[in-house]
Amino acid sequence: MLDGKLKQALAMVQKPGRYTGGEPGSVYKEKEQVDLRFAFCFPDTYEVGMSFLGEKILYELINAHPNWWMERAFMSWLDMKEQMETLGIPLYTLESKDPLTQFDIVGFTLQYEMSFTNILAMLDLAGIPFYAKDRGEEWPLIIAGGPCVCNGEPVAPFFDVMQLGEGEDQLQSICAQVEQAKKEGISKEELLLRLVKIPGVYIPAFYDVEYQEDGRIQTIRPNRPGVPAVVTKAILKDMNAYKPPVNFVVPLIGAIHDRAQVEVLRGCVRGCRFCQAGFIYRPMRQRDAEGLDRAARDLCANTGYEEVSLTSLSTSDHSQLEELLDRMNTWVEKEHVNIALPSLRVDNFSESLIEKTTRVRKSGLTFAPEAGTQRLRDVINKNVTWEEIERTCTIAFKAGYTSVKLYFMMGLPTETLEDIEGIADTAHKIVDLFYQVKDKPKGKGSVQVTISCACFVPKPHTPFQFCPQDTKEMLEEKQAHLRAAVRSRKVKVNCHFSDISFLEAVVAKGDRRLAPVLVEAYRNGCYFDGWDECFHYDTWLEAFKKWGIDPAFYAYRTIGLEEITPWSHMDYGVTHDFLVREYQKALEGKTTRPCNKACSGCGANQLLGGPCFEYHQDLVH
Amino acid sequence: MNTIRIWFTKEGDASYISLLDLQRAMARCLKRSGLPVWYTQGFNPHIYMTFTSPLSLGQESLVESVDVKTEEEAPDFEEWKNRLNPVMPGGIRVTRVAPVVHKGEEVAFARYSVWTDQPGGREAAQAYNQADSLPVEKKTKRAVKTVDLKEILPHVQLETEGEKYSFQMLLPAGKELNTNPALVLESWEQAYGFPARNWNILRTGLYTRTMEEFS
Repeated sequence: MLDGKLKQALAMVQKPGRYTGGEPGSVYKEKEQVDLRFAFCFPDTYEVGMSFLGEKILYELINAHPNWWMERAFMSWLDMKEQMETLGIPLYTLESKDPLTQFDIVGFTLQYEMSFTNILAMLDLAGIPFYAKDRGEEWPLIIAGGPCVCNGEPVAPFFDVMQLGEGEDQLQSICAQVEQAKKEGISKEELLLRLVKIPGVYIPAFYDVEYQEDGRIQTIRPNRPGVPAVVTKAILKDMNAYKPPVNFVVPLIGAIHDRAQVEVLRGCVRGCRFCQAGFIYRPMRQRDAEGLDRAARDLCANTGYEEVSLTSLSTSDHSQLEELLDRMNTWVEKEHVNIALPSLRVDNFSESLIEKTTRVRKSGLTFAPEAGTQRLRDVINKNVTWEEIERTCTIAFKAGYTSVKLYFMMGLPTETLEDIEGIADTAHKIVDLFYQVKDKPKGKGSVQVTISCACFVPKPHTPFQFCPQDTKEMLEEKQAHLRAAVRSRKVKVNCHFSDISFLEAVVAKGDRRLAPVLVEAYRNGCYFDGWDECFHYDTWLEAFKKWGIDPAFYAYRTIGLEEITPWSHMDYGVTHDFLVREYQKALEGKTTRPCNKACSGCGANQLLGGPCFEYHQDLVH
Repeated sequence: MNTIRIWFTKEGDASYISLLDLQRAMARCLKRSGLPVWYTQGFNPHIYMTFTSPLSLGQESLVESVDVKTEEEAPDFEEWKNRLNPVMPGGIRVTRVAPVVHKGEEVAFARYSVWTDQPGGREAAQAYNQADSLPVEKKTKRAVKTVDLKEILPHVQLETEGEKYSFQMLLPAGKELNTNPALVLESWEQAYGFPARNWNILRTGLYTRTMEEFS
């Protein structure tokens, strides 16, 4: 229920519907009758968090246990944070409106490095001490999962438990152990020693990190008996064993992705060398078309959504995609549902695919060539050719598309100004192509090509983890060069802000010594760093200075191939040797084939205990 | 084709759903209910819905309504209500499903109940009742003009229920003239210093020009 203070706060803030709960699909239980209470915290706004599929998966799984209750909390926007601080309202979950301190487990998802300070802000709003070492038995267990755990070292000192890999089985095991520990009344230390036996569970306090004089890491060693030297991620061997969630909490105020989502596959076969997700979610595993069709239909019926998205890192790599679309097309029209296909690739985009998904609405077309020349696309292993882009755009223009959005990265390893010019050339060639295509639908006379350029951030667990990031000066020169190279008014250029990318690189490759810097930056007003209007670069620089840390050490230094990295003790299935091999191939401009066509021996098949694909059958296309 | 009016409450958490968000949420709830509502027949079909006199964000109501159409010859209104209630957001409860009697634009007045648990509210309301006039600036589409609130709302009526009390306001709520209870409370804040945000506002009735209950 809403108490007086909360009502007062809500009267003063924008979009109060972010803070009230009560959405259809949200789960309410009697708190006196549950044995375990879990607060799932998303360290960004409600609108961003409610778009996140992982939370929906875990919300359904955990709440399926009658005696466990998972609730949701999000980071309050600036105006609400101020009201909560003024009125003394601690951060609460939307369902029960109880403060986080009343929960057994407070779990954060680490989706993005720039949300790390929001974790501190949420703990602060809840009145929970930041550092795990400062929290005694009386505090909830503070845990973290999600992709950024793959190098969660900058935030590791804040967490009791971190989870590597996929949460479906793992989180249920953690909850079961915590429930048991409560019954037995054992200490936190005893509980952590039990949790460490669960696949993918990483207890930061159980590892000591020593540094060399030059700042590099000397050793990372477990400090308790029975704690593994290397933690291997948890994985679902068979995606079909877990039905996708068929109930979503349907937000009442518009989320960013406000639609039904069905995860068709996990992992990616492509092996783009810059892409962290492409390595840490290996191997690719897909769900059967029949089960996906049923899940999509149930989900639409249960939520009332008018659009269902077939999500994954690369949906068109699903071997039964056309079959799935045919099945879905038997009911979507009758039930007033549209199908959306994000993450399409230019190389297997077909006319029938367009026809099957865009019967109702023609929106813009989005592609990610990532680099402007074939040479550089080979370096990054983004195996997309101009011929494929040309073919795809021709199909799309004939189908009535008039806007094309192209994603590129700037500052990729080996990049030259020629590659930057290639970005502009690609856009110009697409504009020209539009006017050459003869049989366009009537009334579609003009085209808009948007170039969106992000700064490349080298990420752990990728072949480019060894690479330094381009300096701010280099990136700015390249941005200016790109703008000068664009001649057409039909081409629009959007470049991202390089200071944020620099900080992202520092934190992505950072180690535990950054934890006090994060606290310092937060204390001085840095949170929501991913939001341009909230990013205070100078405050960050002061925080680094105060703690005697040179951020350039993390972002601009080439990491030696044999160096111990902050994430050396985290195993995502891909071997170090493979990353080195891919790095060397990149420098030679040699490509690697997708996993479903030829195995390149990354090591992730060990996680499944056998080959990832049957290389003779329908998976190859 | 039948037009049906669905009556619902909008309280607690639900009072923070804006009209735009409510339209989308209601469409999804109707879809989830599986009831045979009529879709517009255009290029982009959607559920036909018309809401009666929108409510401001943060205000509660016992008398909200939305009109939908159905091709059902003789809809079972009790069945409609029973199928809608389980799929509604927290704070929204369907109270009645019924045939349309009045057109939406026939709404002329709305009754509100306002109350507060903070000291001083009662005095503010009593000061208002005793005042001869209270000029307020009212924004219209074209300009800002000054009106005397006392001409629109001569007095508010005290109702007590044990320890609790509330004030009843009957305000114009038509197309031509519409006065938001929040405007009254803001004028009280200016005149008597009692903060407007400390009030709770609940809409309790809608009436036609002849003070017939809107239905």
